[in-house]
Amino acid sequence: MSKLAYEVAIVGSGLAGIAAACKLAEYGVKVVVMDENIHIGGQFLRRCPTTRKASFTDVMDLMRKKGFKLITLAKEKNVAIMNRTKVLAISDQNELLVEDNEKKISTIRPQIILLATGARERFLPFKGWTLPGVFSTGAIQSLVKSFGVLPSREIFVGGSGPFLFTVAWELLQQRGRVMSIIEQKHLMDSLPPSGLLFFNASRFLQSACQIARIVFARVPVRYATKIVEARGRYRLEQVVTSKVDRLGRAVPGTEKIYSSEALAVGHGFTPNIELAQVAGCEIESDTTKGGWVVRVDQTLETSVENVFAAGEITGIGGAPKSLNEGNIAALSILRRLGKEVEKSVFSRHQKKRERLLCFARYFNSLHMSSDEIIKAIPDETLICRCENVTIKEINMAIQQGHNTLGALRKALRIGMGNCQGRICTPIVRDLIHIHAKATKEEDNEILPASTRIPVKPLAIKSLLD
Amino acid sequence: MAGLRISPIPKKDKVRLVVNGREVVACRGESVLAALIASGYVKLRIAPGSGEGRGAFCGMGVCYDCLVTINGRPNERACMAQVEDGMEIAIDE
Repeated sequence: MSKLAYEVAIVGSGLAGIAAACKLAEYGVKVVVMDENIHIGGQFLRRCPTTRKASFTDVMDLMRKKGFKLITLAKEKNVAIMNRTKVLAISDQNELLVEDNEKKISTIRPQIILLATGARERFLPFKGWTLPGVFSTGAIQSLVKSFGVLPSREIFVGGSGPFLFTVAWELLQQRGRVMSIIEQKHLMDSLPPSGLLFFNASRFLQSACQIARIVFARVPVRYATKIVEARGRYRLEQVVTSKVDRLGRAVPGTEKIYSSEALAVGHGFTPNIELAQVAGCEIESDTTKGGWVVRVDQTLETSVENVFAAGEITGIGGAPKSLNEGNIAALSILRRLGKEVEKSVFSRHQKKRERLLCFARYFNSLHMSSDEIIKAIPDETLICRCENVTIKEINMAIQQGHNTLGALRKALRIGMGNCQGRICTPIVRDLIHIHAKATKEEDNEILPASTRIPVKPLAIKSLLD
Repeated sequence: MAGLRISPIPKKDKVRLVVNGREVVACRGESVLAALIASGYVKLRIAPGSGEGRGAFCGMGVCYDCLVTINGRPNERACMAQVEDGMEIAIDE
């Protein structure tokens, strides 16, 4: 095990992480960026490795353009970049336990840690969502954007939120075909308030361009419709949809069956808080921020001294918020390291952040599922994909008094599988919340179950070597 | 059912993998998952417990549903592993 001398270690090479790294390197700070993925840039900055040339998308999207510039800049400024590297633990002395791309374990002890671990997708489980051929919208996006690969030329897209349209648009740009877009929300509930429209004109304009392209390609868009079942013998063959009423309940007699080999589903995003939990950072629950988020102060420092957080993990808000917070965190870290930072720059970024947080609240509202939608999930539907636990088993356990995530874990093994609850806990949290409301119990804040190290599974062999 | 590549693999970027004894052509730099999907492998494993087939779901290293055996190492995430020439991959069939 070796110790390397870095002043700042950044976990996550998405917009927030890479923006912070560049700013810090500009001031001569020795910084390392670690990321689990093959390519740096996170979920937002993806580019096909073979073509590598700027696509139409890059030219259109200023945020992406900025992002790719930052990646180039980071390399020029000699930022140490470790891809395919897992951060397994953070000790109370702020020491990181890392498994690198050669599966070697080492420790890094920086003065300051910046967590920019991003977000993952949320899902609303339906019957058959474990069938091969059912993908998350993010999976389809990464396959097409990073690798130019699709499971089939025709893709069915469903769930809720504007990301459905982004993915559909990207598929069309890459000569894929989108069979249909199924949006659970009613059209009227998706429209933004006019104030937001004014302050975020460029974002809405971009959305409008995407929708125009989708309409031009004659992709059927169905609002107030949800996916009720994925069918197939060994892999996806059919998708069953149904109209929903204003509360999100299926309307009987409106089922439609489509033949499809690939389905992309997504219901918004939730932060990757596990590493922050292990570091001892306080977590708060806020549905307007996308669920459980890392609590930060104005300078983006967490409740643990010298551990900062930026980007989606402080609240889902998309690329502009991540870029903004990456800059704020870097400025705060520079101050902590005793470097001179102009106050006006700091407050300008802070002001911008306020505006971005407003937009974020609206964005997250587009993905919220009503209690009725969650109650309408049929009994036999799997919720925990790893341990094969159904919604009926979970609801029964909650009624028997296992009404915390920790208790459910012990009762049902839910969240104890390979993914450690990353996929199912957002929905289990909702189930606990619904039960608490129904029984008029005091509405306590529902906290995530504790996370233990290593935060991602690890071969024992790596530890022994 | 075969997957789809938007553009053919440039000659210089071709790498060869062996999937359950069969040769598969992949593109340098891509993920094992991308190579498998492009060659039509969607079902990747049998879930312990239920015995049902599973394939990649989240595609970003979170769900662990795309676990395959790579060069004899079991339980590797196909979406997080990068292809290498001569790599041997085993999936449940």
